[in-house]
Amino acid sequence: MGGVHAGHYDALPDSRVMAVLDIRLEAAERLAESYSASAYDNMEKMLAEEDIDIVSITTPTPYHKKCVLTAAAAGKHIFCEKPIAMTVEDGLEMTEACRKAGVAFMVGHVLRYFPEYAAAKAMIDKGAVGKVGMVSTSRGGSFPQASGDWYADKSKSGGLVLDMIIHDFDWLRWSLGDVIRVYAKGLVEKAGEHKDYALVTLRFANGAIAHVEGTWMRPDGFKTCLEVAGDKGLITFNNDDSAPIKLAFTGSGGAGNAVAVPNSPLAEEDDPYRLEIADFLKAIKSEEEPPISGEDAVEALKISLAVLESISTGQPVEVLR
Amino acid sequence: MMKRIRVGMMSFAHMHAGSYASCLEKMPQVELVGVADEDDARGRAAAEAHNTDYYKSYDSLLKQNLDGVVICSENYRHLEMTEMAAAAGADILCEKPISTNADDARKMIDLCRQAKVRLQTAFPCRFSPAVAQVRDIVREGRLGEIVAVKATNRGRMPGGWFVDSRLSGGGAIIDHTVHVADLLRWYTGAEAIEVYAEAGTMFNDIEAEDAGLLTISYDNGIFATLDTSWSRPKSFPTWGDVYMEFTGTEGVAGVDAFIQRLDHYSDENMSYGWAGWGSNTDMGLIRDWVDCLGSDREPSITGEDGLRALEVALAAYRSIASGKPECV
Repeated sequence: MGGVHAGHYDALPDSRVMAVLDIRLEAAERLAESYSASAYDNMEKMLAEEDIDIVSITTPTPYHKKCVLTAAAAGKHIFCEKPIAMTVEDGLEMTEACRKAGVAFMVGHVLRYFPEYAAAKAMIDKGAVGKVGMVSTSRGGSFPQASGDWYADKSKSGGLVLDMIIHDFDWLRWSLGDVIRVYAKGLVEKAGEHKDYALVTLRFANGAIAHVEGTWMRPDGFKTCLEVAGDKGLITFNNDDSAPIKLAFTGSGGAGNAVAVPNSPLAEEDDPYRLEIADFLKAIKSEEEPPISGEDAVEALKISLAVLESISTGQPVEVLR
Repeated sequence: MMKRIRVGMMSFAHMHAGSYASCLEKMPQVELVGVADEDDARGRAAAEAHNTDYYKSYDSLLKQNLDGVVICSENYRHLEMTEMAAAAGADILCEKPISTNADDARKMIDLCRQAKVRLQTAFPCRFSPAVAQVRDIVREGRLGEIVAVKATNRGRMPGGWFVDSRLSGGGAIIDHTVHVADLLRWYTGAEAIEVYAEAGTMFNDIEAEDAGLLTISYDNGIFATLDTSWSRPKSFPTWGDVYMEFTGTEGVAGVDAFIQRLDHYSDENMSYGWAGWGSNTDMGLIRDWVDCLGSDREPSITGEDGLRALEVALAAYRSIASGKPECV
């Protein structure tokens, strides 16, 4: 994700990449080279030597807190990938540290910038389905690959509940308001290696119900679905049906073994990651609160943690505001 | 000429009666003896539509030496209808859900056993070729060990007695839980042990619930969710869906039982609708039942099967009341 952020800072008119930090110096050097930036494997050293305004944090989740606190202490504005932290206490501490340091803090719940989800939210707000009753979302594909296989270590990633469908939880909370109660079943407690799956029920303060599926057990490509049913209408979306491009090539293993890969390209300026970083920069320049606050990220985290608790206890769990 | 199997229709209160009668009419070995319905207009119209006789009273129909009857009354009358049919010695195909409550369902099963008549529950989804094919894939273990199932059986709000819980037993949950609950038992052989549900009345100005989301735990460790909502708007292109997605350790399988269709856009009334072309599941159900009537075998879907599926819906209602997962 660091490479994605760097590319967008570089492409946007008001920012450029000054330095890249990674505990593996050679990885930092590889990315830094593309932007003629400096490479570091020590955060304090980077903050001392470089004249930078913003720190973008794309480490595995357990290291978010240390990075955010360090950057805030140095007076840097901070963009942090989701989930904000592994615990509510850590998330609140990070948010508070940024507030005290007077630096802007935004968390990358990027789903809000995906055009299909942004459009669905706008339609809900305009009353396109009337009063929302039931929402269904699905997200997932095969097990994610990452450096050090850190997704497979649930103590680091929290599995798909904390790392992936927190996107849906944030979008749902943004669109429907606070969640009061969750009930969920999942594989978190008994996961085999490289498998994760969860089915979640959310109940909102406004009465609506959401049905959320997350899977890292789908071998046939990454899929997302969204459905919003209200008393005046219904919105449905799935990424396969709306992909303008479907490509399949005769494979080297012979005919008939190629899987069609759907592709849904967007203009550069509509890229969701571009949009979230542009919004962050805009907020800094205008000295406004960034659109996705630490508090928002903590609320999404609370939902994920309640889901994990429900999965382990087998009971519904109240989500306290 | 072979003696024809004599079948009567008890009540057209449930809209599926028309489809079952049409299927029966198509079978040369069946004689559709008549339609009984206390609603004179409804009964006469049905009898006329299906080229058979109308009987004002169930007794007079049941005196016609019937081999079998199809019960499509309001759900709460299934016991009463079953008592009459069993007393007349007719085998029974009873519309789902088997009843509004477990006591009545158990009585139906017991009294049929005592009267030596065969009681079948109408679960036509088992006769979807796609549903049956994915069952084979699951049972052959091609998905590895099944972990979870995500299912939907959603529809438009049916109105009429369906939304009067005294007659139907509830709303969307009792109407739309039992199909998938039956299919999951049939697929996996597992029994539901616990149900958690959230529900509400979200889409329509009715008293019964029109939104329901169940989480069902099975005795073999599988968990499933089932959206039973009447959440399809009036402008939706079809009546609803029966969809199940199985996630296993070696793969996934989705089956959308009623997706085989033509998309139809019409300027006539500026509408978009689906014209289904999949195999008629009701025909499969009726063909199997008639085969049962003509043989000595047990029904392929029993009264117990109907009760097991109903128990999942009843546990969902208890969960809604208690706010906790409830044992089935």
